[in-house]
Amino acid sequence: MSILKSLAAATLSGLLLTTAAFAEDKPVVGLVMKSLANEFFQNMMVGAEAHAARRGDYELRAVGMQNETDFESQINAVENFITEGVDVIVIAPADSRAMVGPIKKAIEAGITVVNFDVALDAAAKTEAGLELAFVGPDNRGGAKLAGDALGKALGQGGKVVIIEGNPSADNANERRLGFEDSIAEYGLELVDSRTAHWETEEANSVFSTMLTANPDIQGVMAANDSMAIGVVRALEAAGRTDILVVGFDNVPAVGPMIEDGRLLATVDQFGTDMAANAIDLGLGVVAGGPPLEGWVKTPVSLVTK
Amino acid sequence: MDTTANTRQGLKELINRAGIGLALLGLVVFFSVFTEHFLTANNITNILTQITINLILAVGMTFVILIGGIDLSVGSIMAFAAVIAGKAMTMPGLGPTEAILLAVMAGLLAGMLCGLLNGFLSAYWSIPSFIITLGMLNIARGAALQVTDAQTVYAFPKEFSEFGSSLIFGVPVVFILALLLVAVAWFILNHTILGRMIYGIGNNEEAVRLAGHSVFRYKMIAFTICGLTAGIAAIVYMARLNIASPIAGIGFELNAIAAVIIGGTSLNGGRGSVIGTLMGALIIGVLANGLILLGLSDFMRQMITGVVLIAAVLLDQYRARYGRST
Repeated sequence: MSILKSLAAATLSGLLLTTAAFAEDKPVVGLVMKSLANEFFQNMMVGAEAHAARRGDYELRAVGMQNETDFESQINAVENFITEGVDVIVIAPADSRAMVGPIKKAIEAGITVVNFDVALDAAAKTEAGLELAFVGPDNRGGAKLAGDALGKALGQGGKVVIIEGNPSADNANERRLGFEDSIAEYGLELVDSRTAHWETEEANSVFSTMLTANPDIQGVMAANDSMAIGVVRALEAAGRTDILVVGFDNVPAVGPMIEDGRLLATVDQFGTDMAANAIDLGLGVVAGGPPLEGWVKTPVSLVTK
Repeated sequence: MDTTANTRQGLKELINRAGIGLALLGLVVFFSVFTEHFLTANNITNILTQITINLILAVGMTFVILIGGIDLSVGSIMAFAAVIAGKAMTMPGLGPTEAILLAVMAGLLAGMLCGLLNGFLSAYWSIPSFIITLGMLNIARGAALQVTDAQTVYAFPKEFSEFGSSLIFGVPVVFILALLLVAVAWFILNHTILGRMIYGIGNNEEAVRLAGHSVFRYKMIAFTICGLTAGIAAIVYMARLNIASPIAGIGFELNAIAAVIIGGTSLNGGRGSVIGTLMGALIIGVLANGLILLGLSDFMRQMITGVVLIAAVLLDQYRARYGRST
């Protein structure tokens, strides 16, 4: 037992030493990600690692979470980074309110914080007296690109349904609003709008039931591609080729569907580069550049055949 | 007088046994009256497709719950089996038939192995299966993510996805497969020594042990069957959606457990049937479908599903007590 203990102590002091070794010349960037089980964030992480290797002038420390709602481990990660004294924290908040406190603490500790992917809640920021720029895509604008593509194809009065993401997620809300903007602009008729929690199987089930209730649906707006895939499969199973589908994210699996027209359009928000870009911005500030302000929009673009 | 008493007794017995079927019938009648599309051929096909995965998982879960265990890992095992099968199916240089055969075998084997491990660990050290399978929930999920690097596996042969959406007289082939599983499970549970042992362990493990039977062995078999059904569910999932996602099946274990319990199988083990499980899965499916057709909001839908689950268990408690007193 005592051997085990001393072994543990040795390992621990080893860890502490490596941590201390950061404090050399290269700035250290702590990247706090969302769920790495999500292919989108996994790719983003790979992109950031490649970026760190390419630039070579900073040290990357990345932390992910187990699932989308596990914001406690994000809070822990931020606190650990504060203790370690990193120079920059680049964070995709799992919860736009819960993360305000820890981020404020990091800024007070003199760390440059870059908030990307999902913006912190404006009201919560004001309440905490926190001013922080947001670097990220316009989810609403992006969804509107896809919605507009559908609107153009269907024309006035086209009957559409929305498949929403998690009801409590900000990007899900933003995308729904974007779809609704298109619906208003193109005079479409919204027949039904339901969540499938970002999930393929649930989207497949929920949409086939919606189709039964509304056989005259002409278009589907899915808030991510995973759900769009479920919708496309439901249409194939029902033998319907007359219904147009749009998605969001441009995941590899929808490539063939865009190609053969089963998916009319999706939206690319260049997730692979997103963390890397945010890191560049943060390092720019550390190097003496001006602080980030307001909303630094990252590109979104429509993907069609 | 005697005969009326008998008839009444018989009627009570019938209601007792058919309680869950009556509840299902009630739901069907309700949705048929209050929604326009519920009782259409298309919608019935939809419901059957939608419940298939849950039914398959619940059949395996019935074995585990009957021995007084629980398996929280079936959703994760399903994802793990799916990505293993998906990787096998998309291996370069395979013809469609070989690819599908290899994938099916790999998926089933992956599921069985996970189940075997669940059974071995919990039975050998007599650790509550709740905790072992909670561990497996994480292990299998992590393994699925590790194997795929969190990427969705896709591009399966066309023949495979056609199987996922093909119908025979309007009945989904995958559902027929699930029904076959129910039949096999029913036969095992009612007409084999294995079945008798499974009920026996759930009722009185010590008695089975004292009678000289290996409780360990039968527990392992029950968990392996549960893992196998998770593997079968994985194949159906892939055929239906034409992808294999490492984050598939999150929370599916709870739906499977719900189907088993709504179907009247006791969480304490030893009492219940796989036919009840079929009814339970149908009730959950009919409810999910009907509430959407009714136009209820997602949140209301979730609440009502919860209420029905509790009501079913209460009904079962009542039935168990009532059954004892007569």
